Amino acid sequence: MTDIKEILRYLGYRGKPGDEQVLKSIDSCMEELSRAVTPRSLSHSVEVTFTDNAVCLDSLKIESNDLIGHLDGCGEAILFAATLGTQADFLLERTSKIDMSRAVVLQACAAAMVESYCDDCEREISAEAAKRGLFLRPRYSPGYGDFSIRHQHDLLRILDAQKKIGLTVTDGCMLAPSKSVTAVIGLTSEKTSCHIAKCMGCKSLNCPFRKD
Amino acid sequence: MRILDELGKRIIFFDGGMGTMLQQKGLAAGELPELWNLTHPELITEIQAQYCAAGADIIKTNTFGANEIKLSECGHSVEEIITAAVQIAKKAAAGTNALVAMDIGPTGKLMKPLGDLAFEKAYAVFSQAAAAGEKAGADLILIETMSDTYECKAAVLAAKQNTKLPVFVTVIVDEKGKLLTGGDIASAVALLEGLGVDALGLNCGFGPEQMKKLLPQLMSCCSVPVIINPNAGLPHSIGGETVFDVKPAEFSAAMKEITQGGAWIIGGCCGTTPAHISATVQLCRDIQPVPQEQKHLTVVSSFAKAVSFGEKPVLIGERINPTGKSRLKQALRDNDMDYLLREGITQQQNGAHILDVNVGLPEIDEPALLQRAVTEIQSVVDLPLQIDTSDTTAMEAAMRIYNGKPLINSVNGKEESMRAIFPLVKRYGGVVIALTLDEDGIPTTAKGRFAIAEKIVKTAAEYGIDKKDIIVDTLAMTISAGQENAAVTLNAVRMIRENLGVHTSLGVSNISFGLPQREHINAAFFTMALQNGLSVAIVNPNSAAMMDAYFAYCALSGADNQCMDYIGRYSGQKADSAPPSGELSLNAAVVKGLKDSARAAAEKLLETEEPLHIINTQMIPALDQVGKDFEQGVLFLPQLLMSAEAAKSAFEVIRGKMSGKGEQVKKEKIILATVKGDVHDIGKNIVKVLLENYSYDLIDLGRDVSPEKVVEAAEKDGVKLVGLSALMTTTVTNMEETIRQLHARLPDCKVMVGGAVLTPEYAKQIHADSYSKDAMGAVHYAQKLFSGNESH
Repeated sequence: MTDIKEILRYLGYRGKPGDEQVLKSIDSCMEELSRAVTPRSLSHSVEVTFTDNAVCLDSLKIESNDLIGHLDGCGEAILFAATLGTQADFLLERTSKIDMSRAVVLQACAAAMVESYCDDCEREISAEAAKRGLFLRPRYSPGYGDFSIRHQHDLLRILDAQKKIGLTVTDGCMLAPSKSVTAVIGLTSEKTSCHIAKCMGCKSLNCPFRKD
Repeated sequence: MRILDELGKRIIFFDGGMGTMLQQKGLAAGELPELWNLTHPELITEIQAQYCAAGADIIKTNTFGANEIKLSECGHSVEEIITAAVQIAKKAAAGTNALVAMDIGPTGKLMKPLGDLAFEKAYAVFSQAAAAGEKAGADLILIETMSDTYECKAAVLAAKQNTKLPVFVTVIVDEKGKLLTGGDIASAVALLEGLGVDALGLNCGFGPEQMKKLLPQLMSCCSVPVIINPNAGLPHSIGGETVFDVKPAEFSAAMKEITQGGAWIIGGCCGTTPAHISATVQLCRDIQPVPQEQKHLTVVSSFAKAVSFGEKPVLIGERINPTGKSRLKQALRDNDMDYLLREGITQQQNGAHILDVNVGLPEIDEPALLQRAVTEIQSVVDLPLQIDTSDTTAMEAAMRIYNGKPLINSVNGKEESMRAIFPLVKRYGGVVIALTLDEDGIPTTAKGRFAIAEKIVKTAAEYGIDKKDIIVDTLAMTISAGQENAAVTLNAVRMIRENLGVHTSLGVSNISFGLPQREHINAAFFTMALQNGLSVAIVNPNSAAMMDAYFAYCALSGADNQCMDYIGRYSGQKADSAPPSGELSLNAAVVKGLKDSARAAAEKLLETEEPLHIINTQMIPALDQVGKDFEQGVLFLPQLLMSAEAAKSAFEVIRGKMSGKGEQVKKEKIILATVKGDVHDIGKNIVKVLLENYSYDLIDLGRDVSPEKVVEAAEKDGVKLVGLSALMTTTVTNMEETIRQLHARLPDCKVMVGGAVLTPEYAKQIHADSYSKDAMGAVHYAQKLFSGNESH
């Protein structure tokens, strides 16, 4: 279930409650989005090994201290991708031509929707891992910390994401369709995982969306 | 074996999966399978030889991803890999009758405008692959696993225009029969048949059981041979690995039913093995192919949907045509695409099934503008379009980049017209409107118009265009010039529908030209024409009278099953939807973000006050207050924009009055653009709406704009302020380069920047003149920069 508070946060409300007009608009945008989009996801298990300054996900070598820290203690990870598909972008584009106010609400709803869809997928992955006595670390995406955004290409290639869910990346490393997520999810036998760290673990201290 | 001669005589068998077989032999996830043509040729040959031995008639080369984009960093050329792959397949097929299909998969990129792959780039990439395949000796081309009709169109055009090989195409859909980009099977079939593919069908996605369910849908609209290449079941994940588990016996049993359901060409995709193909061949080879009926459907399509003619009258929205519309002419001259797009969306909301797009003005570059208009309209409207121009260069340019099978307006009975238009219809696909006029003008009798229609249909056939792809317009001419005009036109409609068996169209409102209260005549004539068998009408969907006539006719004629559309439209409708009350002041309406009230209040004020006075005493104070409240966290972005939209609708009324009096409010020009590489522009659009409220003259260059284009635009109009947005660290370098070029070329021009990754420090570092943390920041900078130059 997409969280209204998350949507308001994306809209810059910083914890303040939404007024009646915006809440109505959120309702109607969520309904329009749910009718228009078909979320899709992919996951693929890889072995995690470490070298001095890099972490290897199968044969993919990633030089990132933050990712090393994040996957510390994990022997396995799930490469994950999800997208709302092109219909979300089409709807956003169309709405922005007729009503910008609705367009920003729709954009916030779509952003929250893909996140909550990822959470749903993660619950399935988590249940599957639990059977093997493993716990999930939070999703960690290219572009977080020093995990270079250029690795979007690698993740999508390994997942065969264009063919399977229509998810691609532009030369500028943007995911297209835009309402999409890629991530590495560490699996560990230690039960030290925490889900809140997703936002607070990030070093963008000035981010307007940061959860205080 | 000549494949096209064999089709329909016996069932033809494709081979099965290659990628999944290679993975079993050690191909890692993410590794390029095409490189194995160079590193493990013997393995590929071995797999393909097994497929030949299993009885496959066609084996696919291992070239699914062999294109310039996917192979860019592999150190080998596309030609080298494709040549090797074709040779390997030919070696495997040696000694058998099997043919080699040059396999072409998607590029892996998303097409513009949602992604960054331009249509012509995709065309070039596919052209290279197709030509290399033919040169190396492939017998046919298989374009497969296409999930985007637009990319698929680029691939088919490339294959057909660069090789002489037969072209087969299969697309991938989900269980609802939808492509990833939202298109349905009917729209894909319309596009592909229009482009003249030799066979088409479905592959990948899931197993034969699911495909069996979609087959009737495909057979109902398809007239060319059908291909079905399913996976060995629905892929599912076990311990992170993808598994396909439909076994050969089960697979082949389902394929037998698929063959009996009408498929002529069958094989396998992911997870299928020589054992699957062998079992399928055993079970299906003696089945006689079910004769493929010609469906004779007249159908046009967009990327999302197909519209077919005949079942129910079709409405073409006529509003995107500058003839007699000064506001649209102005928008076209100003490159104001947003106005066109809003016209398009409104017509769709009001019930149009197809939109006419005509941007012909004497002083513009029509090919470029028509291409742009078509592309932009398709990015916000999912209806099929009618490409309407008398300039054949513009027509070809637009048909080429159109995503779907378009309606074309028009051809006529003149030799010259048919010679120019029919080859385009043949090449790009389309349904063409044929006007019943020729070198001798417009016949004054229905018989005369029928004769021209007959000539056009006959000539089209010589170009290989079936009459199903022609819709005859018998030309409505005003009854004020001759009262028999209506009868002649209507008789011609009936004769052509009954005796020539083609669909008919009319530009309905022409009938009343020169008369007062034209809608009365138009609506009655429209009903009469429908009763005479008219299939499609070009009308104004924003006219209640025309739409009322349409819905009433459909209910009366039985085209509207159980009158559901009629009831849906009119039941519960209030006799008059309460007009926005004029109680609120303009200032209050803007502050509260009430669009209709703001417009009504502005209209009322204009009765007694001067436009400039209204702007200065009502609009500007309201906008300033809202801006301040936003900055203080009293109200938030959606509310700020609601106020902006309310102000915009009031401004439209006020400007209308001013331009009527020859006055101007336009202030300094500001350019806005999202930098090269950045394909998202919602932030830039927010800034635009607010700056427009402050009456700046905005030049919106859109997204993914090169530095050169920004400099060129700024130079051309002497612009003193450019706003740039960038969303990603990866594209800020392009922002920096744009700023560098602007400053070098136009030292007086200031640059303000904004976007998710920017900070004041970062902006300084790339030499921006100003950083805006939000849209109001941009407004303040513009006001500061231009203060003293001009007052409101």
